[in-house]
Amino acid sequence: MDINYVGEHLWAGNTGNFFIVLSFCGALLSSLSYFIFSTNEVQNASWKSLGRSGYFIHASGVLGIIGTLFYMLLNHMFEFHYVWQHSNTEMPMRYILSCFWEGQEGSFLLWTFWHVVLGIILIFTSGKWEGPVMTIVALVQIFLASMLLGIYVFGYKIGSNPFLLLRQIPDFANLPFIQNANYLSKLDGRGLNPLLQNYWMTIHPPTLFLGFASTLVPFAYAIAGLWKKDFNGWMKPALPWTFFGVMILGTGILMGGAWAYEALSFGGFWAWDPVENASLVPWLTFVGAAHVMVIHRNKGQSLLVTFILTIITFILILYSTFLTRSGILGDTSVHAFTDLGMSGQLLVYLLTFLVIAVVLIVINWKHFPKPETEESVWSREFWMFVGAMVLAVSAFQIIFTTSIPVINKIFSSNIAPPTNPIQHYNSFQVWVAVIVALLIGVGQYFKFKKTEMNIFLKTIAVSFFGAIVITGLLTAILDLLSIQQIPYIILLFSSVFAIVANTSYFISVLKGKVKLSGASVAHIGFGMILLGALISMSKSEVISRNTSGVDLQKLGEDFPNAENIMLVKNDTLSMGGWFVTYNGKKKEGVNIFYEIDYFSKDENGKYVKDFTLNPRVQINPRMGNVAEPSTKHYIGKDIYTHVTYAELDEEKEKKPDEFKKARTVTLAPGDTVFGSNSIIIFEGLDKNVDKTKYNLGEKDIAVAAQMRVVDVKNNSFTARPVYSIQSVYAVPFADEIAELGLKFIITKLIPESGKVEIEVYEKNSNLKEFIILKAIVFPGINILWAGCLIMIIGTVLAIRHRLKQSN
Amino acid sequence: MKKSHIIAIIIIAVAIGAILTTVGDSSTYASFAMATENPGKEYHVVGKLEKDSALIYNPQENVNLFTFYIKDNEGIIKKVLYHGTKPQDFERSEQIVLVGKMKDEGFQANTILMKCPSKYNDGKPEMQEYKAQS
Repeated sequence: MDINYVGEHLWAGNTGNFFIVLSFCGALLSSLSYFIFSTNEVQNASWKSLGRSGYFIHASGVLGIIGTLFYMLLNHMFEFHYVWQHSNTEMPMRYILSCFWEGQEGSFLLWTFWHVVLGIILIFTSGKWEGPVMTIVALVQIFLASMLLGIYVFGYKIGSNPFLLLRQIPDFANLPFIQNANYLSKLDGRGLNPLLQNYWMTIHPPTLFLGFASTLVPFAYAIAGLWKKDFNGWMKPALPWTFFGVMILGTGILMGGAWAYEALSFGGFWAWDPVENASLVPWLTFVGAAHVMVIHRNKGQSLLVTFILTIITFILILYSTFLTRSGILGDTSVHAFTDLGMSGQLLVYLLTFLVIAVVLIVINWKHFPKPETEESVWSREFWMFVGAMVLAVSAFQIIFTTSIPVINKIFSSNIAPPTNPIQHYNSFQVWVAVIVALLIGVGQYFKFKKTEMNIFLKTIAVSFFGAIVITGLLTAILDLLSIQQIPYIILLFSSVFAIVANTSYFISVLKGKVKLSGASVAHIGFGMILLGALISMSKSEVISRNTSGVDLQKLGEDFPNAENIMLVKNDTLSMGGWFVTYNGKKKEGVNIFYEIDYFSKDENGKYVKDFTLNPRVQINPRMGNVAEPSTKHYIGKDIYTHVTYAELDEEKEKKPDEFKKARTVTLAPGDTVFGSNSIIIFEGLDKNVDKTKYNLGEKDIAVAAQMRVVDVKNNSFTARPVYSIQSVYAVPFADEIAELGLKFIITKLIPESGKVEIEVYEKNSNLKEFIILKAIVFPGINILWAGCLIMIIGTVLAIRHRLKQSN
Repeated sequence: MKKSHIIAIIIIAVAIGAILTTVGDSSTYASFAMATENPGKEYHVVGKLEKDSALIYNPQENVNLFTFYIKDNEGIIKKVLYHGTKPQDFERSEQIVLVGKMKDEGFQANTILMKCPSKYNDGKPEMQEYKAQS
């Protein structure tokens, strides 16, 4: 049965598919031509220009795909599955970018796009390296372009096509609405995940993917070097790219941390989540690669390690893509992506390049130039090498634990990740950070080649004692001794030392020459990142400890960390040195904003408003509500506030004078329970009951429960609910305290223990609107963000310096 | 012995150390039965929410206590105590991974990992993590 569907833009899908095929064929043509160009003894320039043309065809294909997809998103063409899945008409247009890369196809496109950009730059800058380098780049692009093909070859699905129609998806094809020729007129998209409707999500993915993409350039140069047996020459052009990649990838990772801190309810900027780890690990090996490249440029040593680190960085990028995209992390990560059936393809991609690299290293290894002399222990290179190795070991530990699900899959074992991942990683990585920070501190004072011991000691001693003094001061000011963990105090010292030593090197040795100071400045930034992370993590304090009316017995000794506090509308609670008031909520679009005022007391004991925070809950019936924290930034500290629970149901019109459903409590004499506005004390049973008042006969039995109720202003009230037995029937008589809206009914007497079972009723008017929130103070987090900026500046200086050198 | 060899040996030693600490810190996916046999030891328990049993979160009484019942993969139902606020959309969860240990009053969960159906990906579950402590 053919249905003539109304309003579909089939031409758009066809255009998109044309561009997909174009980009795939272009990459194929380019890689092949460049390969022939590079292998021919006599170089034939026409193969080179064919390679270039192929790459430009590929580039225009990729740009065409991106343009088509954007056009579809902008025009709400919900007949296309990708558009339907990731956007809707209600969504603000500024998040269109997030829609674009929310899906896997989109994020592969983003990655491909950056490779296109970098590839074009390489065509014009790599000179004699163009042939072999572009062969590799275009080969990578063949794999990436195939991820979008969405065709079946011998029963295997290759790629996932972003231009499929909704009605072509098997899950939808048989749905009744598809039988309606006019289905489009009623269709709206599913919309964007509320977590991604966020400013950070428009800048974090492109930066991170540019970082991912930039690892390809040194990798391609390294493979080209092995292939052309020019084992040293490739590093000169690769080094600035490596620095560039380190900077961008690092920035992308930290932006992810900022997103988690500002917009997610993680309660911190780093949680050692598998997805975070998957991008940190290649960064660590990348930093290692950058440093051994510098060693090799100066001394011609550690060639094998340079190759290994450069190559493994790119392989690790592919591996982390596999980890996050194959769904294998499913049980361990908060934000693992689900499988699109491409994990096999990703593995082929990874293994192809791993095999190429390993084979090339093995066949060339015996031709590597071997340095005759061993490196002196008193040279800068030696310690840089040690530092790079420490980073490699650090990367190994992180990726090993993160790979537990992969290990389970391979060996069909049943290992669960550590129950406390943060502690697991920290206890190892603290020592890595200590060693790295110390090396950063002393490193520059070693001369390249050999260092005079006494001069070295003299210059470093100043920084060493300076750092001790500053560490002491910091410890005193910030009360850091309360950390009481020796590794953290050692890390405090070593990160301060790294900062001081590099600052003093910048001033006294470089005499403030900015051009040469890239390494010092970047290292100062790195030291600050460590320092900021250490202070904000170890001294962060949950100030929303529950100090108000709670049943402390139920908390148990194992859980002293009751971290949420209830805030009733218009009440004020003391919290971490502030007085906090919840003023109410307001609804704006899909968001509910909660207005929370923070007050402090001035000298006269008057309350002064310090600031207002507006944490919000984004209502999304289809995908689930999302709470977003709000943070007050001071220079020295941040106050982070997050609504962990709120009653979101539109208030059903409750009559204030009605009692809500009772709560049944069993009380022994002397026991207390908390009411919403009072403390209720059961003082004991009283047999002295005025029987006439309740129309009881002489033989009937009656007892009253003596209840004392104290309200928040310390006024005392009493209530005497009565329990009577008239012949064989038990008849309770309620008693009320009108002022407090309380009512008590005895439901059972337990004579053996002298306990009573009582129903406690409260009027609806007693139960004011409330929210439950969690508030954390993060001191010193700005040191971390400032460190990021300084590290970026330092890396830019280093790139400039290297570029000048290579010209 | 060459210095590079010494460095290589140290690196291998530390790497083995890293593997050992991971193995030492790692937990096991277990059933309630196993957790009951070893009270006080932390496990990952995978199960489903018993939607018919009581789901108690009474913030007026205790903000930081949420109790519910989970049926593990072997079909045993246990009461679970989670010391935190009730997570959003808890009832919608399809599968729940609990991290914690068995106590007399029930399974004490530090972390809940929820798999919710068709939240962010069509028809495919998505994980969400909730921790009682930060």
